[in-house]
Amino acid sequence: MSSTVLDYSKELSVIEGLPSAATLDEMIEKPINDFPQRRWFIGLAITGTMLMIGVVSLTWLLWKGVGVWGINQPVAWGFDVVNFVFWVGIGHAGTLISAILFLFRQKWRTGIARFAEAMTLFAVLCAVQFVIFHTGRPWLAMAWLFPYPNQHGVWVNFTSPLEWDVFAVNTYFIVSAVFWYLGLIPDFATLRDRATTTIKKVTFSILSLGWRFSNRHWQHYERAYLIMAGFATPLVLSVHTIVSFDFAVSIIPGWHTTIFPPYFVAGAIFSGFAMVQNVLIITRKAFKFETLITMDTIEKMNKIILVTGTIVGYAYIMEFFIAWYSGNATELFVFVNRAFGPYWWAYWTMMTCNLFTPQLFWSKKIRTSLLASFILAIFVNIGMWFERFVIIVTSLHRDFLPSSWGMFVPTMWDFGMLIGSFGLFFTLVLLFVKFLPAIAMAEIKAVIPGAQPTHHGNGASH
Amino acid sequence: MEPSKTNNSESKYWRSLRAYHNDPSVDDAKAREFAKEVTDGFDVDAMSPMSRKQFLALVSASAAFAAAGCTNYRDKGAIVPYIKKPEEITLGKANYYASTFVDNGQEYGILIKTREGRPIKIDGNPDHPVNKGKIPARGQASILNLYDPERLKDPMVVESGILSKSSWKDVDASIIAALSAAVKEGKEIAIITHTITSPTAKKVLNDFTAKYPTAKIYSYELFNDLNRRSAWMKSTGDRSAGTVTPAFPLIKWNEAKIILALESDFLGYEGNIAEQTRMFVENRNVDNAKNISRIYSADGTMNSTGMNADYRLRVRPDRQLEFVLALINEFAPNGKASLKDFAAKNGLDAADVKQLVKDLSENKGKSIVHAGNALPESVHIAVNVLNEILGNSALYNKEQSSVEYVETSKNDEWEALINKMNGGKVGVVIHFDSNPVYHLASDYGYAEALKKVGSVVTLAEMQNESSAASNYVLPINHAFESWGDHKTRTGIISLQQPVISPLYNSRQKEALLLAWTVSAAAFTETLYHEYLMTRWEKEVFPAMKSSVDFKTFWYSALHDGVVTFSETAQAFGKATSDALNTVAPVSAANDFVLYLHDNYFVGDGRYANNGWLQEMPHPASKIAWDNYAAIGVATSREMGIDENSMIEVSVGGRSLKLPVHVQPGLSDKFIAVMLGYGRTVSGTVGTGVGFNANLFMSKSASLSPWLYSGVTVTKTSDKYLLASSQEHHQLDDTFLKDIHKKRDIIQEGTVVQFLADPKFLEKEHSGSTIIPKIKYDGVKWAMAIDLNKCTGCGVCTLSCNVENNIPVVGKDQLGKGREMAWIRIDRYFSGTSEAPSVSNQPMLCQHCDSAPCENVCPVIATTHSPDGLNQMAYNRCVGTKYCSNNCPYKVRRFNFYDFRSEFNDGIQYQQPLNMLHNPEVTVRSRGVMEKCTFCIQRIMEGRELAIENGTVFDGSGVTVACQEACPADAIVFGNMNDKNSEIYKYRHHEIGYRVLEEINVAPNVTYVAKLRNVESQTEKA
Repeated sequence: MSSTVLDYSKELSVIEGLPSAATLDEMIEKPINDFPQRRWFIGLAITGTMLMIGVVSLTWLLWKGVGVWGINQPVAWGFDVVNFVFWVGIGHAGTLISAILFLFRQKWRTGIARFAEAMTLFAVLCAVQFVIFHTGRPWLAMAWLFPYPNQHGVWVNFTSPLEWDVFAVNTYFIVSAVFWYLGLIPDFATLRDRATTTIKKVTFSILSLGWRFSNRHWQHYERAYLIMAGFATPLVLSVHTIVSFDFAVSIIPGWHTTIFPPYFVAGAIFSGFAMVQNVLIITRKAFKFETLITMDTIEKMNKIILVTGTIVGYAYIMEFFIAWYSGNATELFVFVNRAFGPYWWAYWTMMTCNLFTPQLFWSKKIRTSLLASFILAIFVNIGMWFERFVIIVTSLHRDFLPSSWGMFVPTMWDFGMLIGSFGLFFTLVLLFVKFLPAIAMAEIKAVIPGAQPTHHGNGASH
Repeated sequence: MEPSKTNNSESKYWRSLRAYHNDPSVDDAKAREFAKEVTDGFDVDAMSPMSRKQFLALVSASAAFAAAGCTNYRDKGAIVPYIKKPEEITLGKANYYASTFVDNGQEYGILIKTREGRPIKIDGNPDHPVNKGKIPARGQASILNLYDPERLKDPMVVESGILSKSSWKDVDASIIAALSAAVKEGKEIAIITHTITSPTAKKVLNDFTAKYPTAKIYSYELFNDLNRRSAWMKSTGDRSAGTVTPAFPLIKWNEAKIILALESDFLGYEGNIAEQTRMFVENRNVDNAKNISRIYSADGTMNSTGMNADYRLRVRPDRQLEFVLALINEFAPNGKASLKDFAAKNGLDAADVKQLVKDLSENKGKSIVHAGNALPESVHIAVNVLNEILGNSALYNKEQSSVEYVETSKNDEWEALINKMNGGKVGVVIHFDSNPVYHLASDYGYAEALKKVGSVVTLAEMQNESSAASNYVLPINHAFESWGDHKTRTGIISLQQPVISPLYNSRQKEALLLAWTVSAAAFTETLYHEYLMTRWEKEVFPAMKSSVDFKTFWYSALHDGVVTFSETAQAFGKATSDALNTVAPVSAANDFVLYLHDNYFVGDGRYANNGWLQEMPHPASKIAWDNYAAIGVATSREMGIDENSMIEVSVGGRSLKLPVHVQPGLSDKFIAVMLGYGRTVSGTVGTGVGFNANLFMSKSASLSPWLYSGVTVTKTSDKYLLASSQEHHQLDDTFLKDIHKKRDIIQEGTVVQFLADPKFLEKEHSGSTIIPKIKYDGVKWAMAIDLNKCTGCGVCTLSCNVENNIPVVGKDQLGKGREMAWIRIDRYFSGTSEAPSVSNQPMLCQHCDSAPCENVCPVIATTHSPDGLNQMAYNRCVGTKYCSNNCPYKVRRFNFYDFRSEFNDGIQYQQPLNMLHNPEVTVRSRGVMEKCTFCIQRIMEGRELAIENGTVFDGSGVTVACQEACPADAIVFGNMNDKNSEIYKYRHHEIGYRVLEEINVAPNVTYVAKLRNVESQTEKA
């Protein structure tokens, strides 16, 4: 393996033990080669059912119209956009881990990067479906939201934040997909070389694009990976910034807030890490990746959750402060109403799960407890879903004119679509861990002790 | 080998070498088309005598029949242009015909707009001297009844318990036989009708009774003015010639400085609302602020008049007599009752009462005290006396009086009829477009008695409770398919002409009686038309002493829709104080009092199947699609009853479970219920909407048929969800209290304040922006709504619904907050829950210059026009709903479903409802946003006209639908760049304000702040 620009030599060991490259390959490849375990099938049955609930809900939605949901005037966005923002947010962890942490040479990311990237893609897919299907006429929205020259001479509105969303999310999806695939190429080659069946051989041959582990390949690969990382880095910040513009650019009190971009980005990373944490802990356990995904990694993730959670909490409080400090009575009303109005329970669920419970991670004991990490991460996911619910629904339900105030009551189809999106996400995750290497084989080899050349004689020397 | 000659010697062609060599197997193969044994024994001739041609003919014929049979009946309506253009129709141009709309004994001159022969919109006839171009909500929506898919289409007969289709011939014959038999047997023929307003119809009835001498006519209205009439007679002794019952004087509301309305909703549902509203708002003009009238409303319910009152006194209906007597005592002391005591006992504000007395005494002859129809006779007598004492008879209209052709039948007449029915002495009952089974007080036992009548004939547009109990159910023409003349005032006859030929096999109700009078064969489509014209030519026209011939007169009269002539009004006597001696004092009841009252939209239930009317929210409660038991806040707390729980109300053994609405401002220990709901036999829209509170009515009501004391109320554990278009907030929630005022959505002041400083409302609005403002140099549309005039009646909403093809969404969707009305009336309460002050505000798209909806639409489906309109391109809209979210006024409406197909199993898609649509307005599909367009179709019409005439379009002459319909003329619309226009004046009005001006969206609707005419500098409560 050629030397990379990174020097990991001063850092703690990323993985436990001192496995050989072959052991690593074997370990990572095991789920792909083995006939799936029974619990994998049980998992798939559950997520598949959830997915089908989503499919049925979607069919009914398309048949009847968005009226099957609980949305109304004034709350014209409900679970649809809540779910959209939620899933886009989930996606952010992947890019942050694979791009930003890569640039910052955080080698502890290696074990989880592949996984997180895949989750990004799946999450963005989940998000995109809500963008399309929340519209009244999705069959037209799918085409008309894109600027394409046409005989009608109609064009899209580049001043609309929703249009920015279209570009932001599409760019995000494309870049993430390319980045992910790029990282997979050496692994595909490894799988190709270790393939035992023809189907695998052919499939992986095609997917590995003729990778031969040559020095040149590695050189190009490293450069390309670095460039892609650089390319993806601004997206981590831009996508959720733009999603936050959907709200910040509007004039509705509770939405019209300048703090939204950083607050949304922090929130996105927060929720994304929590989701990665959840899926990671299960996978780690199920596939016995304990040596590759160490407790140290999990602890670091928890630290990030703690930091971003506190940023988000700060934003919540700052929003309140500014609502009061601005002297804008309508805005103050919206915030007081959030905390003490009809949707107080949603607000306090959000506050509890996002601001209060993550503070438990100050304790190292909790931070390094698998169970605590898992449970608190679930709390974060719940909290972040509620954050979007609070922002969207409570701001709309009591806006300027008291005459038009109303309540949003979700219907079974709202829940159906939500469950369906989780079904889609976890089904894809399950398929991913079965059919693709869940941990980057090539990368992990670069961080095993002694893999890197060093001047200090620590491990292998050149 | 030579080719054989036998084998087609002419042919040089051969298909195979075997053929060339004349192999016999080739001939054999040729002879049999199919392989051996496949078709052996196949003898064509033996199989069928049918030739191939015949077979094909049959196949094609059956295919053609099948195709014809499967044809959608809609296909018949292929769009074919006129080959010969009818003289009066230009495609794309509307024709207007003057006609008459009659509602609850009130006539309104109307103009019916027709397009290509189908009526699409009703508005008032500006030439009509009474309603002057305005009509009530029911008139606007009545067009839906014309096209109601569930109208009766053919005469029906009940044969052995089953209602089946019949023919007019058979029906006529058997009814005439039944009528003759009844006369022969000396049995009565009872004709039961609503108020007869037509002199010609009266003549028809006279002819009928002449032919069938045992016939007797009964007339009723669920909401009638019998108490008022009899009270007038008792207080004055009037029994003038010319009218059957002594009428009562009409009131010149426009001359009243002080109005004291006692449970009288003269702005809401009593009397000629269009006329009364117009007269009332004449004195609510800010530009003549010194002369603004003052209105006191003493009522127990929260009605339109009370909502618009400057002072509202909470007086329970059963205590009104005490109140009026106490007032009389103030001006003509009799030592019997003291106003002070009354005020103290009933929790009235002493200062308010003092002010009332002061105002009444200072404005003698310029004030009016008016009691509601539902109040007992005694209250009316006392009111008449009070008005006389105050010299208010000066405000009685001496030029005009009301006219009634058939006396409203009284209690004893009904009892006599029902006794006769039970005794088998009634041969035929004819329900002449009436529904007594539903309307008559249940303890008459009318429905039971009806079973003992041989022939029951119901003439109706739709199935109703009475038709369900009939042997003959006969479809009658809708008013817009009918001829008629209506006279409810002296000197004015309003003409009614059909604007469309009957849609179904129905007949005009008068023509039916005529045919039965003359002979069944006498019926022609023009029977009644000719009868009407003959009567006019012979009886009316000569008296007119017109200088033109009859035909000219008749056509011009039809054109105008109204004929006025000089006729002496009934002379009214004076009410004397002696009349008070007949008044029995009402013992103050401490138990619950039940008050039944008219509703604002569905009337006495006749409009139950009209979805537009059902969906109109009640002005105070904003609840639609139901009636309910309204109770006061204090009472609800006392009893621990919440909104949407059910209570059992019982009076005199009659009890009914009703959902509760907690209504601020209602009297204590008082239950108000609207009548006209709970229809059991109506169309699919109207059946089962609300609760039938007619059940409470009793023939032996002690106070009045609408007012009952000794009511018991029981809590139940049942729940019932009422659908409301506006959330209900607790008035004592400090967080929400007066929020509409804190946000300057409602800006109000008092007349005193305004007179002292006309600019008292002016506020600094920086309105600074970094974006350069777009200049509108040409026409720039704007609207102004004068909240001093707006009474919150909701006619604008209905007019808009009809004009802009707005669908009915139904109760569940309304409850979810998905109503589609483009203009709504926002109602705000401030003050305490006992004495709330109400503010109404029509809210519609504000067509903001910096419209926040526009920049957020990703597909540019909503844009701004150069004349300042915020536009929607429905075809481009993909339905992100972002615009709606970003609209600070929440006036955008989204088609969450295809509501036409979603509501009531798609009844709105049934024929012939599509004929109702305004062809100038797109019918929106599912998934599309919509909103007020400022009636762009009317603007374009104005523009086209200007282009056609080669003139510069300055925006004058364009009226929008809500503006045209507003009975108070509270809505002004026009080109704000035109300095001579009225809108310019309003746009720069001293107390004009824009809602949410501070968010800088630059709305183009100006609201003129309401001035309350109260004494104190600051607003009351």
